[in-house]
Amino acid sequence: MEPSPKMPADHEEADPSMLKSQAAEPDAAEPAIVLSGVQKRYGHQVAVRELSLSIPRGELFAFVGPNGAGKTTTIKLIAGLLRPDAGTVHVCGHPVQGDGLAAKARLAYVPDQPFLYEKLTGREFLQFVAQMYGLSPAQRDAGLARLIPQLGLAEFVDRLTDGFSHGMKQRLVLAAALLHEPLVLVIDEPMVGLDPRTVRTVKDMFRAHVRAGGTIFMSTHTLEVAEAMADRIGIIHRGELLAVGTLEQLRAQSRRAGSALEDIFLSVTEAEHAGDGT
Amino acid sequence: MPATGPEARPASPGAGGLAAADSHLHLLLWVRGRRTVNRLREALREAPVRVLATAGLIALIWLGLWVLFELVFYQLRRTPLEATVAIPLVFNFFFVAMLVLLTFSNALISYSMLFGSPEAGYLLSLPVRARDVIGLKYLESLLMSSWSLFVLGLPLMLAIARQTDEPAFYPLFVAFFLAFIPIPGALGMLAAWAAARFFPRRVLRWVVGVAAVLLIAGTLTALRMLQPTDAAAETWLRTFFAKMSFVQTALLPNNWVALGIEHAQAGRLALSGCYLGVTVANALFASWVAVLVVSRGYAVAFDRAVSGGGRDYRRGRRALPSAATAASLTSPPARRVASGWSVVGRWLGLGGSSGGGWPVWFFPYLAPQPRLVAAKDLRTFVRDPLQWGQLLILFGLLVLYLTNVPHLRFRSASAGWALLVPFLNLSAISLILATFTCRFVFPLVSLEGQKLWLIGLLPIRRSRILLAKFAFAMTVTLLVALGAMLLSIVKLELAPLWAAIHLVVITVVCFGLCAFAVGLGARLPMFRETNVARIANGFGGTTNLLASVVLVTVVLTGVAVTTWRARYLDERTLPDLYILGPCVLAVLGAVAAGVAALAIGARHFNRVEV
Repeated sequence: MEPSPKMPADHEEADPSMLKSQAAEPDAAEPAIVLSGVQKRYGHQVAVRELSLSIPRGELFAFVGPNGAGKTTTIKLIAGLLRPDAGTVHVCGHPVQGDGLAAKARLAYVPDQPFLYEKLTGREFLQFVAQMYGLSPAQRDAGLARLIPQLGLAEFVDRLTDGFSHGMKQRLVLAAALLHEPLVLVIDEPMVGLDPRTVRTVKDMFRAHVRAGGTIFMSTHTLEVAEAMADRIGIIHRGELLAVGTLEQLRAQSRRAGSALEDIFLSVTEAEHAGDGT
Repeated sequence: MPATGPEARPASPGAGGLAAADSHLHLLLWVRGRRTVNRLREALREAPVRVLATAGLIALIWLGLWVLFELVFYQLRRTPLEATVAIPLVFNFFFVAMLVLLTFSNALISYSMLFGSPEAGYLLSLPVRARDVIGLKYLESLLMSSWSLFVLGLPLMLAIARQTDEPAFYPLFVAFFLAFIPIPGALGMLAAWAAARFFPRRVLRWVVGVAAVLLIAGTLTALRMLQPTDAAAETWLRTFFAKMSFVQTALLPNNWVALGIEHAQAGRLALSGCYLGVTVANALFASWVAVLVVSRGYAVAFDRAVSGGGRDYRRGRRALPSAATAASLTSPPARRVASGWSVVGRWLGLGGSSGGGWPVWFFPYLAPQPRLVAAKDLRTFVRDPLQWGQLLILFGLLVLYLTNVPHLRFRSASAGWALLVPFLNLSAISLILATFTCRFVFPLVSLEGQKLWLIGLLPIRRSRILLAKFAFAMTVTLLVALGAMLLSIVKLELAPLWAAIHLVVITVVCFGLCAFAVGLGARLPMFRETNVARIANGFGGTTNLLASVVLVTVVLTGVAVTTWRARYLDERTLPDLYILGPCVLAVLGAVAAGVAALAIGARHFNRVEV
């Protein structure tokens, strides 16, 4: 199946009900995410090496790479959980290290292992998150009214989170992330543990989010998802960004016209192995 | 999980005027409160009898402690010397000990909560000020480190208050206790932050080790200073009092509290109030400094704690959670070059090789599969400086005390000391063991929760896994406890019969405490919790703590009665059943209780679904 990545022109046709926070954003011209010469070490080992990347607003960017390539580390750097040893990270023009609160207020982060407070009901957790982002009761209730049916939470939202399956947790965390209508959604492995119906729903939500001017930075091992949804794709391996661009650009870079992302991914990462002589 | 129903629907967190996003501390506290209410509702709905039984047991133990303390202080009051000299000094020493122990305890808890919990990462990703997160964690660490001390301290304070005629004494005493707790709390949090900020994890174990050695060396020096030159009890006490005057330095918080309590006891309320003011002001200032300093450097410290790197024992290089893992696994030079450390590490069994290394040697009496599980737990123990550091410090101090016992010349002070001192040593060792098993052994089963699917697939009965946990706990605690007990026996030149009794009793105490911790850990687990402190402080942990206190009290009471009945007995005369009976009964009771706890735990663990 020939993928049809959305082109920048799609953004002009975005949903007129722009993200509220987007409308109020004074620096709307700033790219959503900018990583400049970012380097991160774990001890002596380099996890992310000289990473420079700019994600414009209204783009769904997929970050793919083998296990241990540096995807999650990059995501944690954007979310402000880790600090780069060198380089800078900006979210909507706000430096994550210097003006973390402003950057985080515009961002939502969904980790691969979702965190939920035990002994809270799903609704209590959502209310807590809404308060953390300073939503008014009216905004919060409107958000809950929108997201609970959309993500199929109604059945279990009033139960304690202790007994939730991974998929239920993932859906609840996703709702919490979207509650404050973030400008930038950073998400690690969004489709893992979700049933097919929810995967479809999430895809639709992501598309709507991007159409409304939001930005999504998504790491995934599911290359089909990246291929079908992403405006641009970045391939990272051993901490280095090996290739970045639209699917067509990646095909051109790897000289594999008409190839699927899987073939491009394998050829790029294998070439790197061969280059190392391993 | 059943629905909580409409009655469990929360009141809006905004209802209390929390809409402002400037400070999130109230909101974070609201979450804690809400979780507690939900937990209590769930427990009352699902197991009301268990909740009521626990509450009843706490009340019973509280009452028992109060009676015990009443008797102790009544006896102390009867002797003028001890009443005038010992009690103020006891307060001073008590609060010095509290200062050190609570600082250490808060440091451990704070490190785990600030840098090891999933919640810390989650909160860091939210637009919440570090000050609010640190404020919350500070309050939590204060609560977790001192709640049991406070609950158990209340009857002690009440018993002391009953010996005085001043009605304001008890509330003042409680106020001093509460005002004092934040000071070690603040020191502990600062220590935890400094450890994460300035020492990567691989260095931290050595820092903990060096700190433990320094603490022990300091105590050794202090004890050497205290060697009395005169055998007379009164002279010795006065010499001791004079030599320990350094703990009464005006700048130390223990002195403010001890003096305040002393003034309150004597009815000098204005002076007492003045000292309370000093304590409160310093507690507030220390808390403010700790929260300010830690919140300003939290992001950097968190980053260093997370990315500082642990040691990959298998290859003698640092473990990496992400990119470098793949690189290190595929790097041929890493495979070929075995550093000196990796060779030593492999020999020590730290490499995770299937052979198991030395940990396996500790469990020759176990079948191969449980032996591997026990060896795995021993490896984890060796790699966790928080566990062995605590054990090292507690038993290190005990060993130092034991090696100095003859210098204190209790034997020459009174004939009664000859049996009393070994009994007190036995009590000290038992209580330290109880602390260790409640803190570290009880959570062992709960910590397997995330991997229970794996355990469920193994070709081994779950009860055998429980047996392996018990064997690990028993081996570690028994080695340490028997060592300390033997030292006490040798130093006190205890008669063979009494030496044998003490060794049997400490073995039984070890057995009972480990069986309680493992059995109750399996019966009342918290499989979804990964924070050891939270598991130890949860419902099951509290039950285990209370059960352990009861077990130690019962066994020690049996030994005490036997010791009392044998006080006039010649060392060479064999005691009859009248003398030995209480001790034998207590020991048999403890063994039976331990076996029952293990059986209950195994039965539940075999059927539990995660």
